[in-house]
Amino acid sequence: MRKTFIKTLSEISRDNEDIYIVCGDAGFGVFEDFKKEKPDRFINTGVAEANMIGYSAGLAITGFNVFVYNIIPFLLYRCYEQVRNDICYQRLPVTLVGIGSGVTYAPAGMTHYSVEDIALCRSLPNLSIISPIDPIETKAAIEYAVEYNGPLFIRLAKSGELVIRKDESMDITVPHVISEGEDVAIISYGSIFSEALHAVNILKNEGIEPALISLPMIKPINEEAIFDIINGFRAVIILEEHLRYGGLVSILADLFIERGIGARFIPLTLPDAFIHDVNRQAGMRRKYGIDAEGVARTVRSVITDKSQGYLLQNR
Amino acid sequence: MSLKTEQMVFAIHKAMSVREKILKMANRSKGAHVGSCLSVVDILTYLYFKELRIRPEDTLWEDRDYFLMSKGHGAMALYAVLAERGVIDEKLLKGYMQEDGTLPAHLDRFSVPGIEVSAGALGHGLSIAVGIAHGLKLRSKKNRVFVLMGDGECQEGSVWEAAMLAPKLKLSNLTVIVDLNDLQGYGRPSELVSFYPFAEKWKAFGWEAVEADGHNFDSLRSAFTRADRSSLPSVIIAKTVKGKGISFMEDELKWHYFIVTDEHLSAALMELKGA
Repeated sequence: MRKTFIKTLSEISRDNEDIYIVCGDAGFGVFEDFKKEKPDRFINTGVAEANMIGYSAGLAITGFNVFVYNIIPFLLYRCYEQVRNDICYQRLPVTLVGIGSGVTYAPAGMTHYSVEDIALCRSLPNLSIISPIDPIETKAAIEYAVEYNGPLFIRLAKSGELVIRKDESMDITVPHVISEGEDVAIISYGSIFSEALHAVNILKNEGIEPALISLPMIKPINEEAIFDIINGFRAVIILEEHLRYGGLVSILADLFIERGIGARFIPLTLPDAFIHDVNRQAGMRRKYGIDAEGVARTVRSVITDKSQGYLLQNR
Repeated sequence: MSLKTEQMVFAIHKAMSVREKILKMANRSKGAHVGSCLSVVDILTYLYFKELRIRPEDTLWEDRDYFLMSKGHGAMALYAVLAERGVIDEKLLKGYMQEDGTLPAHLDRFSVPGIEVSAGALGHGLSIAVGIAHGLKLRSKKNRVFVLMGDGECQEGSVWEAAMLAPKLKLSNLTVIVDLNDLQGYGRPSELVSFYPFAEKWKAFGWEAVEADGHNFDSLRSAFTRADRSSLPSVIIAKTVKGKGISFMEDELKWHYFIVTDEHLSAALMELKGA
């Protein structure tokens, strides 16, 4: 995702003098070529996150299309007030490109995990959120960001993510059915989507076919498209590499309650807890049941126990 | 180099009129921060009538100088000077802090023209100003950027993050003015969390630091001239008096918070007119 981000942005910036990259002393090796090609369109503002965001807002005021790159906790948490007041409140065209979604950096420790970022960002007016599942969605997200004239958070993992989507000319703002199915639907976003895809492949061998849906744009959420896609399923499994509260589970719950639509949601998330375990990402996902096996297990249990969940009612 | 007599009379007259507007706004709104606003009146008057290249009728003029009011709680002073300069209609001041009103107690750039950035939380303005100043330089533009901060505000870490970056970017087009009224929310900065030695700190960070009397137009003029000529980013440390111009408010901490009653207002206006 990281390579796709910089490759896409570099290509676009060859014909676009307004693109400017700010990094907060992260991304060693990522920007070397860009710096060579566009030395006056890149800056490392050092280990000073509040200033990194305020400075970016100022650049945007003078007409630059600013991309700020950092590890998510240092992109959003330390400098949340700057993100809120300087970028979102003033509705400036700054794209916050964060890496290390979820527990990508495990076992780096809790300080380096980004497991409350959706909760923080969804509450900020004017701020859109895109969390791609793979390099193809990442490319579409960056292209969208270049055209979009407002605050945007793009949530990336790191590197080595598999290519899942085949449709390069996609509309990143709409949910997309990756795998058709019935009875149970799985919705996910971000790099953990690959676990759901793996689960679906495991289940296919057992004759179980849940639907699998990618939802890259989490805010604003395309309500009609979401309802159209999951209408008719008995249960919806929401898989996210995020703490239990404030993420996609909460977003969809809000939406369904508001519409008065009954739905059975099964959250597969990290717990409402600080994480002290020393594991790599794969081990951490396994431990908290949000890996492929955990997803498969959950689908099997929902399929066999028909008392779980009920059909979504027609609107 | 001092101002000619008629220019001085003009400036003093304008500053008095700005003070009158502030006092009336404070009285009508029953809001706080009148002391914080009065301390920056002369600085703002100087900026808006002598220093800033602006077009009152075209606040988005692309060659304008940018002025950022980082101490957002000084909003009344900015609104008053914008009205005095003809950037906004004076009638808008009547809606300050009123129900369904026009102007909030802290700055919102979508409220009226002439507010370059929203402000209220302290320590934001300088970083944004550094971004604007750098953006202008990258485009080889001649616009200048001015940012006014409070002294208590300089306890914010973000101020020093930005102070570290500006010299590296060679922002000769950036001038900070610190309103050194020596009173923050709870007392004197030097007695709370001291930032002294102050000018030395800025110099150590690579800035041109100039000290000035923030109520003396000649002193401000020479400070702004020095700042303009410097190849470094500049800071003007403007010694001011909180509540300046109204004897019973001067250098009194309580006027960070006190409401201007009708009695206060008439006493204050009498003093202003007599001055």
